[in-house]
Amino acid sequence: MSGPCSWRGTTAAVGIANTPFLKHGASSRGSMSLTLDAILAAAADAGIDPHDIDGFASYANDRSEGLAVGAALGVREIRWSTMVWGGGGGGLAAAVNAAAIAVATGQATCVAVYRGIAEIDVGRQSYSEGHISSLYSANGIFTPAQICAMRTQRMIEVDGVPASALEALVAAGYHHARNNPDAAGRDREMDHESYLDARPISDPLRLFDCSRENDAAGAVIITTAERARDLRHPPAYVLSGVQGGAQGWTESVENENPYGTAGFHPALVARLWDDAGVKPNDVDVVQVYENFSGPAVASLIDLGLCPPGPDAGAFMTLENLIAPDGALPINTAGGNIAEGFVHGIGLAVEAVRQIRGTSPNQVPQARHSLLLGGPQAPLVSATLFGSTPTP
Amino acid sequence: MTAQPVTDTTIPDDLPGAVERHGRIVAANDQKAILADFRSDRIGQLVGSASLPPDLVSSEVLDLVRDPDGLFSAWIRYTAASGVRTVLRSRWIHADGGWRVNSVRNVPATPPRTGTEGPDTSEVDRPFWEGLAAGELRVQQCASCGTFVWSPRVLCPSCHGDDLRWPAVEPRGTVYSWTRTWQPFHPSLAGHLPFVVVLAEIPSAGGRRLLGVLDTGDTTDGADIAVGRPVEAVIDRPDGEGWPVLRWRLA
Repeated sequence: MSGPCSWRGTTAAVGIANTPFLKHGASSRGSMSLTLDAILAAAADAGIDPHDIDGFASYANDRSEGLAVGAALGVREIRWSTMVWGGGGGGLAAAVNAAAIAVATGQATCVAVYRGIAEIDVGRQSYSEGHISSLYSANGIFTPAQICAMRTQRMIEVDGVPASALEALVAAGYHHARNNPDAAGRDREMDHESYLDARPISDPLRLFDCSRENDAAGAVIITTAERARDLRHPPAYVLSGVQGGAQGWTESVENENPYGTAGFHPALVARLWDDAGVKPNDVDVVQVYENFSGPAVASLIDLGLCPPGPDAGAFMTLENLIAPDGALPINTAGGNIAEGFVHGIGLAVEAVRQIRGTSPNQVPQARHSLLLGGPQAPLVSATLFGSTPTP
Repeated sequence: MTAQPVTDTTIPDDLPGAVERHGRIVAANDQKAILADFRSDRIGQLVGSASLPPDLVSSEVLDLVRDPDGLFSAWIRYTAASGVRTVLRSRWIHADGGWRVNSVRNVPATPPRTGTEGPDTSEVDRPFWEGLAAGELRVQQCASCGTFVWSPRVLCPSCHGDDLRWPAVEPRGTVYSWTRTWQPFHPSLAGHLPFVVVLAEIPSAGGRRLLGVLDTGDTTDGADIAVGRPVEAVIDRPDGEGWPVLRWRLA
């Protein structure tokens, strides 16, 4: 137990925005254009002049380099520009953390975290670029879906996590999407029959276990806690943030251990809670990255938010996972599965909305809002937001 | 399920005609009619799953049975102008107001050759592929500390030695995990879907795990593969040029 980290509560998310979640390939505008839209909208949301943004952070090899974004916005000064290495959506919370650390240490004063995808310029499945070597593809494995399917299969078959846990997670996302006018999946009825009847993708994953793919962008603006208090919305303070991979986890062509987990290893999880001074049962709402349902379930188990093994079944029920009254509401805007997928940036936006009280499925008086990125990717990361600078 | 489930082998009156007609329109390459026979929510998957030669001249329904899950399986043999014969097994369901194809596959099942076999651009895995070409399963091992290393690397992560060798290991293991892939993620998979990928743990390689498609493409007994089942390595050589690829055979 190390106690709170030095930067706890010194920064906050103050501006958030998503562009519309278009079907993949549907945007006639490129990813940079969508990204600029999202950052301008997030600045307007915060009530700040976009020229005051002096830092940029992204992840997963986003094609819109921070310096180019800054130049496009004509910002007064670029003081910080960071790309999180590796791990696709595993860099989601890590990018938020990088922005917060830059602000906390005075390297920058106002950092935009962003991610933008448009098939017109980055192509299909840009999210997995560089992660599929011939040791995978020679064996017919071309996508993360198949990799996460094997890991999920082990979690179910050996660890004993019931398949119903996956279905409950999917159902919760679609349940929440119905109240979110911006969700791409808002009109989809997701009952037991339609879940099971959907086409198989790679066993045990069916169609609705998989995230969407969208052309869109999102942005979250981080500034100092001091400045945040003068802006338009209640600040979502960054209480703690962690990222990484344990020994033997990363890029090992299915030799990662422990194999059926999401990759949030015990030391990383302990740092998340200790740095914030928060315990798992203090968390009011979670945005858990669902590239696929299985890895998301594994994430909740890793974090100690859901019991492992067969007991996960009794906890992972629709009733428990939905706002306002569930024991652990998750993905309250619909998530990557039902709201839209831009490598998870929409989950970061929703994590902040819950602290503000403006979620389409608000958890009453949410004080601690957790963001998880990257399950079963080479990199995982987490950010804990709070409604006050100390828990 | 009870030990002896009731088996209903009845074929609905209007199904044989629908299946016969389907064979004819496929042989005639009537694309619009073919798509209309597919379940509307999985047309893309079905189009990309099976593979037929061009210039089909005839079709013949070989068999039509009711499966234990209540769907119906039809085996249709297509003959091309070249004389090549191809059998597809389609599974039928009553949906969208009529009989529709729910899934389809080439029979017998075969593992895909993806065209990506061989060393990665880093070349660090080249000795693995050369081992297969020499008829051996070789796994990287540190000469200094004995650690087996997989995926292949330029330094031993354990002792940082750079004398990494490639001994042949006992080509046996057990299923550590697996997945049956249905979605045509790549053009090379057409004609082989669904297929089963096995991740096998190899005791003689320090418990390192290597991927390989089942040598039979899919399970042949209708039963599911399971974690813990023993497997043995099979080296699958290409007909012409190209690298061999590792397959796993259920032992």
